[in-house]
Amino acid sequence: MGETYQEGAGADFDLSQFYQIFFEEAGENLDQMEHMLLDLDLEKADDEELNGIFRCAHSIKGGAATFGFSDVAELTHQMESLLDRLRRHELQPIPQMVDVLLESADASRSLLARHQAGAQDEAPSTASLVRRISELAAGMVPAQGASVEPPKPQSPPPPPPPPAMQAPSPVLAVAAPAPSGARRLEVRIGPLDRVEQAEAIKELFRDIPGLGTIGDLPCDDAQMRLFAVETSSTDSDLLDLFAFHVSKEQVRITAAAGSAGGAEDAQGDAEVAVVPPGEAYGFFSNAPGAPAPEAVAQAQALQAIEPASVVTRIVPKASAEAKAGSQAQMESTTIRVDVKKVDQLINLVGELVITQAMLAQNSLGLDSAEHQQLLAGLADLDRNTRDLQESVMSIRMIPMSIVFSRFPRMLRDLANKLGKKVEMVTLGEATELDKGLVEKITDPLTHLVRNSGDHGIELPAERLAKGKPEHGTITLSASHQGGSIVIEVKDDGRGLSREKILNKARERGMDVSDQMSDADVWQLIFAPGFSTAEVVTDVSGRGVGMDVVKRNIAALNGTVEVDSSEGYGTKVSVRLPLTLAIMDGMSVGVGEEVYILPLSSVVESFQVNAEDVNTVAQGSQLVKVRDEYMPVIALEKIFQVPRFDLDKSSTIMVVVEAEGNRVALLVDELLGQHQVVVKNLESNYRKVPNVSGATILGDGRVALILDIGGLVRRARH
Amino acid sequence: MSVIGKTADTASSGAREYLTFRLDQEEYGIDILKVQEIRGYEPPTRIAHAPEFIKGVVNLRGTIIPIVDMRLKFNCAQAEYNTFTVVIILNLRNRIVGIVVDSVSDVMELAVDSIKAAPDIESVIDNDCILGLGSVGERMLILLDIEKLMSSVDMGLVAAGG
Repeated sequence: MGETYQEGAGADFDLSQFYQIFFEEAGENLDQMEHMLLDLDLEKADDEELNGIFRCAHSIKGGAATFGFSDVAELTHQMESLLDRLRRHELQPIPQMVDVLLESADASRSLLARHQAGAQDEAPSTASLVRRISELAAGMVPAQGASVEPPKPQSPPPPPPPPAMQAPSPVLAVAAPAPSGARRLEVRIGPLDRVEQAEAIKELFRDIPGLGTIGDLPCDDAQMRLFAVETSSTDSDLLDLFAFHVSKEQVRITAAAGSAGGAEDAQGDAEVAVVPPGEAYGFFSNAPGAPAPEAVAQAQALQAIEPASVVTRIVPKASAEAKAGSQAQMESTTIRVDVKKVDQLINLVGELVITQAMLAQNSLGLDSAEHQQLLAGLADLDRNTRDLQESVMSIRMIPMSIVFSRFPRMLRDLANKLGKKVEMVTLGEATELDKGLVEKITDPLTHLVRNSGDHGIELPAERLAKGKPEHGTITLSASHQGGSIVIEVKDDGRGLSREKILNKARERGMDVSDQMSDADVWQLIFAPGFSTAEVVTDVSGRGVGMDVVKRNIAALNGTVEVDSSEGYGTKVSVRLPLTLAIMDGMSVGVGEEVYILPLSSVVESFQVNAEDVNTVAQGSQLVKVRDEYMPVIALEKIFQVPRFDLDKSSTIMVVVEAEGNRVALLVDELLGQHQVVVKNLESNYRKVPNVSGATILGDGRVALILDIGGLVRRARH
Repeated sequence: MSVIGKTADTASSGAREYLTFRLDQEEYGIDILKVQEIRGYEPPTRIAHAPEFIKGVVNLRGTIIPIVDMRLKFNCAQAEYNTFTVVIILNLRNRIVGIVVDSVSDVMELAVDSIKAAPDIESVIDNDCILGLGSVGERMLILLDIEKLMSSVDMGLVAAGG
């Protein structure tokens, strides 16, 4: 579809290199627009928000028109018109508008995806969306709306009208509707000895039918004339025509600001018009909608002996400029990198840190006066490697908010469809999770949230009858717990019915009894094909959900637990291991060995006196810390640490907390605090009791990370 | 019969290469394709409550791998750790495991017909884990199905039932 404009550009200018940037930007704009639409307060809509949404639609439209994606440009143009009326307070925002705008955003997304994939088949029709938007924009008068509806793009699509044409330009002398494929240009003639010569050019437009329209623009140079031209002819045709009256060297053709797509002020501002090409519009000035560089090239080509060579010389320059422009935009965005490369980087940096630690160790004995420079260099190396390690390790971690942010939209649609009122609360959005896990956990979580919205939350009337607030609440939370990440989906809906589940299980011939514990009954819902929903909706209830959720989570070495109380709600907890999470750890020494405690679970540490420790019947020890007795766990005993140096003994208590319970760990010494990369023991070995993972110390040795949750459970039961 | 079948299966493409190593006086061979690298022994991090022959875990360029001392597993008379002690790093179905041996001798090519079925004997090694006996001149080579051996439950490298 890009060719339509390339013809206008009159050069073999390769657009495709910019497609990717456009698609990424459009995607970001759509995301941003969606977020802002969801946050929009209809009662007292903020001007800033409305302007923000408008700007998103506007940028997409501009880009789409430049690249010739007329269907997207058309749709976003309609959105823009509606938003424009909203932001100028000519219309009051209503929920239907948000709905239709969200739908249009989805439609634009799929249209863009289609273009990105290069699909040639018939595009999905956006006619009904366009009609609905224009009806809303016209203030809900259908008759008017029908007349507003613009012609749909046919296949093969006609050259799309540039969006700026829709904006009236007061400076234009003739405001006749432009023929399809028309471009708005600014033609600069001069410097001329007799400026009146230029007037003859206007006669050309009068005399030649179908050439287009021409109008005067103000010009600050007495020897120059500036015209606004609307035409479907190519630049070279225009130049040939103009050559009847003025020499080609005196003609400069540039795209008008509006059709360049990027500038907000499409009103033919003289300021914009006089700026020479290549300085004003950055990236877009080199897009085919703005054929400036080619025009310049052609003008220069006439002076050269070998025109072709000049053109080829100029064109790369133009694309280089475009690259510089696009680079400025890339800086603020992201790059996509294969996760494997990141992992490799992390491992390499780990090796570097170990090598550095070794050098530091070896340089200890050196005379600091004699080797001053070497030691200074080593100190620099030490700092740099640590900084490097820190930043490299943070690459893989992304906050849970990335996952959570997609749910409000989904729940909104779901609630609309089901006629429910649902509010969503998210907690622990900043909890960082390995990127690989985030990608894999998204689908199961989506399922759980959808289940809560569909099965859990009751209809508003039902809720009121039960004495609950009309709005159901779904709470999503994420937290680190005992070497795992726990993600909970909690609703205050109707809860699971023990009876119903048991009946259903009997129906299906499963082996159940009334004496089963609640926890066991809830596990039944994970059986394949199990559903207690009375009505199968298109949202859920087909029973293909929970078993898939469980399987997916088990594949990540995680577990799912359900807790429910009939009439009060359901809580589904997903517990995932930290495969590669970075953790602040505290290293403690026991005998010759080093163990790591997650710093988040450490409460305090103190030197212990023998008389503070009491024993109870079976020899379990208790220590009194500020009026609270807590169990003592001697790491030496639990981990069977061999003692070589009998003079040393465990005299330091570290109080740790997990799941609300505290225990005191008895260790020999506190070694320090540092960030550690949590490595999985299970990938090559197996689960070790009381250990949640392992990490690599600065000297290359492996240290085990304690599972505080496990230790606490062990001590308390 | 089953032994012959297995041998034929794994060695159907004719001659195969085996890495041979010594444990005390015995000589063993394992499929060279399972071997990732050979390293010197470095003291691993001990894991509590693990069987004696699992020495612990070490850091292999960022990966944590368990170290199994084959001499302890096969009840050798002595297991010394000195500068000549060698660890063979095996890559078995996405798992990486290091085994400690007395020394690595050679890489040998053995034709299918020079491998004889092992008779049923009483040993600490499950008979299923022995592919056969290779004869190289006067020496007898015990060919191990190292993958099966390492994944067996009594090795304790994988969680029971997992």
